[in-house]
Amino acid sequence: MTQLRRSLTVAMAIARKDAISELRGRQAAGSTLFFAALVLLLFGFALGPDAERLAQAAPGLLWLAIVFGGLITVARLHQLEAEDGALEQLALYPVDRRAIYAGKALAGAAAMLVLGGLLVPAAGILYGIPIGAAWVPLLTAVVLGAIGFAAVGTAYAGLTVRMRAREVLLPLLLLPIVAPLLLAAVKASSAVLAGDPLGEAGSWLQLLAAFDVIMLVVGAGTYGFLLEE
Amino acid sequence: MPQTTIYVAPRLAGTLGTLPPAVATVDLARLFQRSAALAGVSLTVEMGRTIALLGPNGAGKTTLLRLCAAAIRPSFGSLAIDGVDAVEHPEVVRERVVYLSHATAHYEDLTAEENLRFATIMFGWGAREGREVAREALATIGLESVADERVRVFSAGMRKRLAIGRLLVARPSLLLLDEPHASLDAAGMALVDELIGLWHDAGVTVLVASHQAERVAGMADGTARLDGGLLAEVSGSGVFAGPVAPQPRRRMAVAGMDR
Repeated sequence: MTQLRRSLTVAMAIARKDAISELRGRQAAGSTLFFAALVLLLFGFALGPDAERLAQAAPGLLWLAIVFGGLITVARLHQLEAEDGALEQLALYPVDRRAIYAGKALAGAAAMLVLGGLLVPAAGILYGIPIGAAWVPLLTAVVLGAIGFAAVGTAYAGLTVRMRAREVLLPLLLLPIVAPLLLAAVKASSAVLAGDPLGEAGSWLQLLAAFDVIMLVVGAGTYGFLLEE
Repeated sequence: MPQTTIYVAPRLAGTLGTLPPAVATVDLARLFQRSAALAGVSLTVEMGRTIALLGPNGAGKTTLLRLCAAAIRPSFGSLAIDGVDAVEHPEVVRERVVYLSHATAHYEDLTAEENLRFATIMFGWGAREGREVAREALATIGLESVADERVRVFSAGMRKRLAIGRLLVARPSLLLLDEPHASLDAAGMALVDELIGLWHDAGVTVLVASHQAERVAGMADGTARLDGGLLAEVSGSGVFAGPVAPQPRRRMAVAGMDR
């Protein structure tokens, strides 16, 4: 088995294991979704019943809900490892640490993709925004946003999972780093929902893709050190 | 116990007497927040020996095992596993060392078989081989009938048996067992004793840390007693106080491969 094939097998096994744990522990996954939907609803209440105002703010509110839900998701995926000392065992297996990172990031991105895929229509209904033909570029933004957030979130969740104040530290460390991702995703979504009159959505999506590549490379390179105690 | 296959790491090239020691530490120390869990231990363990690591709580047994597993790095001193510097090449150590810790390290929402199948992939088994190896391990540890049940509903003893099953799907050269008898009933303890004998017969070096001094000393070639983070006493064969081993080598020949 070549090294690359072995690493892919390991990454897929880790992602599959996380997906099974998430699906079987429905309570946790369902709570995250419920929390993110509640965030959307509360933002709606905070802005009031003005339909035009809601539609204008919708992309920003949607992405904030995705980011908040994502914070819980990446933290929980590492919490699974922290239970019963599994993280130490995972770090002791004779596998490339980059494969472990890839598996955890893949699981995180998949979970966020499901979250985003459900929140987009929910935001459409709550804020009265016609998604219509914009769903393809909007889905592209969600996919790129999910990958980028999982890329950074996995690394920081690995860093903070053993810390006592991890619940506070993870958002403190993660949110400033994902600010460019949030900005690009909101701008791309806004442009797409407005029919992209200035043709700027593509540029923002490219920026998102570049963010993903950089964060995946940095995450893969540093995750092994973060696992060290 | 049903028919049990013991898998081992590729043997080192060389003849008896020229092989490096399985464990060689020189002034090995590890601090945790300025407190020394291990305060400078120089110890040599010959390859293929079973050594009992004894001592009271806080003596440094678990810290020594975790250092040997490359789970943590030493604060001072040197450590070589099978002749490889464990600080410089932890990835080589991880291919040859398997560690049974206090924590059983299972995934709660996975079944017993899924947990072992996951371990087989991590230890490099192919899909079909891995399935067979996992099933054989489940039979050996007596959990075949609950293979499809989630670990979340397992008792402490069943969890421990499953952790021992994970050792059976690995291919170790050095096995580090931290309180392997803890949480087990009499049959489980006898199973552990029997397996340690099989690993010994297969040429695997076994370091067993335990409070059950008589039990583990009876099956071991030698014993090393730690106290207060220091090596208090060694006895029997295969274990020596002090750096009597050859110096760690950066590169080593492993049967069939060059590192």
